[in-house]
Amino acid sequence: MNQEEIFEKVVKILTPYVKNQDALDSVGTSTHILDELKVNSARLVDVVLEFEDAFDIEIADEDVDKVETVGNAVELIASKLG
Amino acid sequence: MEEIAAPSLPRRVRVQLGLQRVLCVLLSPLTLGATALGLRGFLRLRFVGLGPLRTAYRGDRAEGGPLLVCANHLTMIDSFLIAYALGAPSWYLFHPRAVPWNVPDRTVFAERRWQRLLLYAFKCLPIERGGTRSSVAGTLARFTHLLRSGGVGMVFPEGGRSRSGCVELDSAAWGVGRVVRGGGCRVLCVYLRGDAQKGYSAMPARGDTIRARMSLFEPKTDLRGVRASREISRQILTRLAEMEAEHFAAA
Repeated sequence: MNQEEIFEKVVKILTPYVKNQDALDSVGTSTHILDELKVNSARLVDVVLEFEDAFDIEIADEDVDKVETVGNAVELIASKLG
Repeated sequence: MEEIAAPSLPRRVRVQLGLQRVLCVLLSPLTLGATALGLRGFLRLRFVGLGPLRTAYRGDRAEGGPLLVCANHLTMIDSFLIAYALGAPSWYLFHPRAVPWNVPDRTVFAERRWQRLLLYAFKCLPIERGGTRSSVAGTLARFTHLLRSGGVGMVFPEGGRSRSGCVELDSAAWGVGRVVRGGGCRVLCVYLRGDAQKGYSAMPARGDTIRARMSLFEPKTDLRGVRASREISRQILTRLAEMEAEHFAAA
């Protein structure tokens, strides 16, 4: 799976949690998940668990600290997929 | 339960935490006195059945190892109420490490300089809820370090005051499970509520009667990673919900 496919899947997973639809319309790898997409920080863990299920990977607690932007999430998932 | 590696802190941060620990001990006659005066003198709160609770807390402390107090959350001064319920100010004077560390929301409690100074003296590490992951992780790492150093921590697994007035199982804050795993903590669940406390509020009603119960709890899971942390948080909240049911059954 290439980065573009991962990106599309990540955005699809994020969509139900996004509160700022304008930011979602122009989403890119540099889009900040909490600040711009306005995903509730308490729900971030639900998003991460959906990543685990969707990509069949395991994400450690400390990995979540690296996820600030959509691009960070894509990079993390890509690194787990090898 | 799979523990996660203890976060390593730079020496500078460890020194800062050590300094705060020492200053908190030195200031404890003032902070403990102010707490007792505020709760008993100003708010005229009446605590029921504290003897067995405080004895049990002493026993749990004596067993050693990191201890994390996890409590329900209904008022903005719950951390004071719970600390008071677990130990008499006079006992804390001679056992200052038994006073729990707290992680209050920086945006609510630490906006002004005087507030930050007060929080510092009251053994708090303000956390930026909803802030950057690195900021939150940094605070949790310091908190975990303090627990591993023999301190007691206090957190509210719902992440905020319950809007329904009851323990909300869906609000499980994943970070709590992470602290339990990272600190290798035993969990002390505390359910505390005033008789007049119907829902959430800033302060308990003046003159209210406060009842508390506690239960040492060992979360278990075979899950790993983030899933394990969330499962532990859920187990703790489930235990608190059971204690809530016991509270109302006894009323």
